[in-house]
Amino acid sequence: MSKYSIWVLEFAHVPDYPLSGLVYGAHNQGTRRLPYCYVLIKGEGHVAMVDVGYNHKAYGAVLATAYGARDWHAPRPVLAECGVTPEDVSTVFLTHSHFDHMGNIEDFPNATFYIQERELSKWVWTLSLERRFRWLMLGIDPADILRTVDLARQGRLVCVNGDRQDLLPGVDLHAAFDTHTYGSMYVRVRNDGTPHSKDNWIFAGDLVYTQENLRGHDANDPEYIPVGFASGSQFNLLMTTGEMVKGVDGDIRRIIPIHDELLKERFPSRITTDGLCLTELALADGEASRVR
Amino acid sequence: MPELDDATVAYILETRPCFEDLRQVASQLAGLLVLEAAGAKSELPRHPMLAAAEELYGGAAGQVRRARVTARTERHHHHLMQATEEIGSALRAARLSVAIDPMLVPLRRAYAQLQGAARELPGFEMVEFQQGCCGARRRDE
Repeated sequence: MSKYSIWVLEFAHVPDYPLSGLVYGAHNQGTRRLPYCYVLIKGEGHVAMVDVGYNHKAYGAVLATAYGARDWHAPRPVLAECGVTPEDVSTVFLTHSHFDHMGNIEDFPNATFYIQERELSKWVWTLSLERRFRWLMLGIDPADILRTVDLARQGRLVCVNGDRQDLLPGVDLHAAFDTHTYGSMYVRVRNDGTPHSKDNWIFAGDLVYTQENLRGHDANDPEYIPVGFASGSQFNLLMTTGEMVKGVDGDIRRIIPIHDELLKERFPSRITTDGLCLTELALADGEASRVR
Repeated sequence: MPELDDATVAYILETRPCFEDLRQVASQLAGLLVLEAAGAKSELPRHPMLAAAEELYGGAAGQVRRARVTARTERHHHHLMQATEEIGSALRAARLSVAIDPMLVPLRRAYAQLQGAARELPGFEMVEFQQGCCGARRRDE
């Protein structure tokens, strides 16, 4: 009996992203379709999201022409596939501060946003470094910083320090410091609501990009391989991966990498009229399927 | 984008570093505002990053004013000049108090001007995506 309905919603994609960007060391191994997605969690009187995507108005054209991002759609039509509006969203968990995860915060006027305090403070600290350290600023949009100021002033930005249990009933935040970014976090949903749940889902942000990060290249001899891009340490990424796998009792299918093209093959899904993939992970009692 | 003449290319090469510096200063000031708005008690007027921002700004503002502008690059340069003025206002406000609006309002205008500049000519980007997370530049660009 699930407490929450959970969907992974694609809102754009890159048709040919280098695999080496997703899996550490996978050089000269071609490209893969890279979906951009966010997660919708609905139930128990709450509508929550994990990340909110990027702001097409600000840099959609750059992404489209220079980086091959395609088919961006605003949250309103994307969420409508699940009968939700952006105004319905009351809680957003920001796994980290990159543009494609927190770039669209202004489209959710009623939401309170949760982010690790360390992600913000180190983000600001990075800005104080001299120009030759600018690699550390990759993927960060100055406009997101300005929008974050507004959120904070409205009291809709909550800085979290470390792990938090039951931020919503059965929804936990887990800090993953100095991994993909300074203050990344992942979200765990205990979907039966019990403290020692056997119905766990983990939303990994960019701590993993694809199942290869969780099982390696040889299914018969699994290993953890870090993502291809991190400003923290590979060691921390691997340790966090191990922690996440433990958090789902070894069932790595339940660790959801939102950039994983193959997610749709592991769970019920459909392609919307806009050509976007909608994947259904769980249905709460009384909720109708959105993929059948 | 039409082919660029030599004078335009020279202008781009000359102003790209100051565009990036202005973007950096705007980000630094916005970062200080985040700390302030989030209640971090950053003691904004005395924060060390403010001095770094002022130094960077001084160099960039001088370069923008000295840039060799042609008819083709006039609109771009106008955006840069406006951004320079607005960031200067935000910096002065930051030195005076911890009040957010006197900094935030010109910063927003500066950001819009930098965005305008980025749209005018190639080579000016508001976000460093290259080789970054989910933003590998295409080889044909």
